[in-house]
Amino acid sequence: MKRLMIVDDSNIIRSKIARALGEHGLEVVGLAPNGEDAVERCVSSRPDVITMDITMPGMDGIECIRRIRAVNPTVRILVVSALADKATAIQALKEGAQGFVCKPFTEHDLTEAIGELFSED
Amino acid sequence: MFGIDLGKYRTIVISIALFLIFDLGVLVLNFFISSEIASDAVNVNLAGRQRMLTQRTAKLTLQLENRAAAGSGQATEMKELIAAFSLFDRTLAAFEQGGETAGGDGQPIHIAAVDDPVARTVLAEARRLWDPYQASIAAVIERGRADPETASELVRQAETANLPLLKLMNDLTTRVEELAASKATTLRAVQVAGISLATANFLIILFHFIRHLRESDRELERARRETDDILRTTQDGLFLLDGEGRIGSQFSSSLTRVLGTSQLAGRSFYEIISPAVTPKTLDTTREYIDLLLRHDVKEKLVVSLNPLECVEVNLAQGPGEAEVRYLQFGFNRVFEAGQVTHLLVTANDITRNVLLERELKASEERAKGQMGLLVEILQVEPATMNQFLRSAQDGLQHINRQLREQGSAREVGKETINSIYRIAHRVKGDASALGLTGLATSLHSLEDILSGLRERPALAGEDFLPVTVRVKGLFEEIEALYQAAGRVAQIRGVVSVEAPRPQHDPGVQALPFVQRWQAFAARLATEHDRRVELGYHGIDAETLPDPLRDALNSMVNQFIRNAIVHGIEDRETRRLRGKPETGRLSVYLSSREDGGVDLSFRDDGEGISVAKVREAAVRAGRLSKEEAAAMDSRRVVGLIFEPGLSTRDSVDEDGGRGAGLDTVKALVMQLGGQIRIGSTPGEYCHFRLSLGTLAPRAKAERSVQPQEEVVA
Repeated sequence: MKRLMIVDDSNIIRSKIARALGEHGLEVVGLAPNGEDAVERCVSSRPDVITMDITMPGMDGIECIRRIRAVNPTVRILVVSALADKATAIQALKEGAQGFVCKPFTEHDLTEAIGELFSED
Repeated sequence: MFGIDLGKYRTIVISIALFLIFDLGVLVLNFFISSEIASDAVNVNLAGRQRMLTQRTAKLTLQLENRAAAGSGQATEMKELIAAFSLFDRTLAAFEQGGETAGGDGQPIHIAAVDDPVARTVLAEARRLWDPYQASIAAVIERGRADPETASELVRQAETANLPLLKLMNDLTTRVEELAASKATTLRAVQVAGISLATANFLIILFHFIRHLRESDRELERARRETDDILRTTQDGLFLLDGEGRIGSQFSSSLTRVLGTSQLAGRSFYEIISPAVTPKTLDTTREYIDLLLRHDVKEKLVVSLNPLECVEVNLAQGPGEAEVRYLQFGFNRVFEAGQVTHLLVTANDITRNVLLERELKASEERAKGQMGLLVEILQVEPATMNQFLRSAQDGLQHINRQLREQGSAREVGKETINSIYRIAHRVKGDASALGLTGLATSLHSLEDILSGLRERPALAGEDFLPVTVRVKGLFEEIEALYQAAGRVAQIRGVVSVEAPRPQHDPGVQALPFVQRWQAFAARLATEHDRRVELGYHGIDAETLPDPLRDALNSMVNQFIRNAIVHGIEDRETRRLRGKPETGRLSVYLSSREDGGVDLSFRDDGEGISVAKVREAAVRAGRLSKEEAAAMDSRRVVGLIFEPGLSTRDSVDEDGGRGAGLDTVKALVMQLGGQIRIGSTPGEYCHFRLSLGTLAPRAKAERSVQPQEEVVA
């Protein structure tokens, strides 16, 4: 069972993702409301996959991806954010995210993106 | 072969192997034959020596005979005889059976037995002659000396054997020479054959390879032609980008058309697109291309982030003129050995699609926006609108002239921008003042562009292209306003509509005649327990000719009276109708081009009740009940200008006698002009007067029939 950590400053979004992916067979091992928490929990929770918001108070998602990558080069990162511009998405991919889903998203969007994340092509 | 797949190199490997086998064969044979020739040469030499030894032996027998006869010593001759005799004997035996003898240099040498039948016959004959001769010599040698008889006997034997032996040894020599010569011939034949085979092999290889080269050249040529055909005929702009963002040397002909330049090979893609995109988009493009070149990021994920899906490009078409085009770039990875080495880029001119899409959207917007535009226009008095549109058009033309002058200039002064900015700002101010928000927004974006240009250190004419494009758009917007205003004017010809909203202008409000009207309205309102506010907008009436000014003053006073007495409701009613407690009277005066003036008077009171006017007309005895009922609303409303008709139930100082609006009508007839009325019961009443400037005498010839319209 894949271990999932959800990073998002919105309570509602966190529970929406947790519900959608929990039903999809992922085990939620960590919830982080901001980048700092996420980096900290990433070490203790050892997730296989992280959903990452970009715009958060304090450390933003891009910086958070960079820090997580430094300590965990193998975890898969899916950006889930209201990506206002393409530049941010490109930046996230460059920093090491493997996929993105734009808010607002459906449950299907999420599960499909997670599937893509672990497909080998 | 050897478990290795030689593929297309199989032929060449086989050819080279054959070449080596031929060479090796020739070499081995060569070695073998030439070593035989070498031993034959030794045999020739030894056979020749045997010839010489027969002669020496014969000569020594003669010398021995002489010594014996003279009775002198024989030691020297005997010694030489032993040497010659034994050498001949040993060599003969070696020829016959193979074995050792002394070589030319006295060193022992091993020779093989001669196996040639002819030579063996010669040797057998020699043996037959040699054996008795050899026995006699051996006997003499054994005794150590020869007496004269023995010596004579030996000489006689030598005379018998010597010549045949000489001839036989000669034959042997000749035969051995013949054998050697035949081997040399064989050797030459082997060499010639070997070289011929090697040459043939070489020729085959050569032919084979030339044929293959030609074939592959032909294939290459065909492939090149196909590529050329594709690049020449495709409608897409196609090119390859390397890791440095440089355009490859081959690209489709359409690319030249799409990008508007043929100088593309080896150039930086970023440099080419940089004039058309913002610095941020350019940065994003770089990052995007970097991302595509990294094969660890999935292509289908990246594709949706393409920042160059629609790029607006302004192409210079001449001084101060530009054409807007929309380009779309698509990127695909090119793999070599599993690595992304290049990107195949397609560039397309999607102007037509974009314009079509926009047109669709615009027609949707128009459907929505035309309502807004009409509302905007309706709020502006037609003359003011025309005046504004003319002045805006003049301003834009002025900007255009400046753009044309600067279009081709290498350097453009800041003063030009400032001048354009001032015009744009003035027109924007006017547009916002008139509530033309759409136009004001467009002008605002023009100002933004100009501010951007103002901050640049140096400017060339071509930097003004975006300005030119915007100005073109503004012309179109103004044209649209003209058309819409024209349509509104047509509508106004039928239906009087919402009044202009006077702008709050303290200067205008302070004019003496305005203050007089306001004082009059205030006094009247107090008397009738109403609250009113009079706002004025327009020209200074004091500047008009006296008769006109006086007439206007009277008419406005009549309208004020009419509005407060008949129009503005009491506060309670107003509150129930959702209106502000204070009634609003709006006066607007503007001058026309032909020297006349337009007067507009509006109150937000009761409006005109057609039913009440009908009743009043019947009450005043002007119409029978039946006539009144049959008369159409427009004509009924017109009755309010008839003398002695009032809808008011009781007569007082300010109304009820029906002697207000007929005064207005009289004045309008005097001045020459038209009256239009617009009203919605319960909402407003609006009088619009177009007044001439003709002297009262001359106006008699003009139509002075008031027109009344009403919005029921």
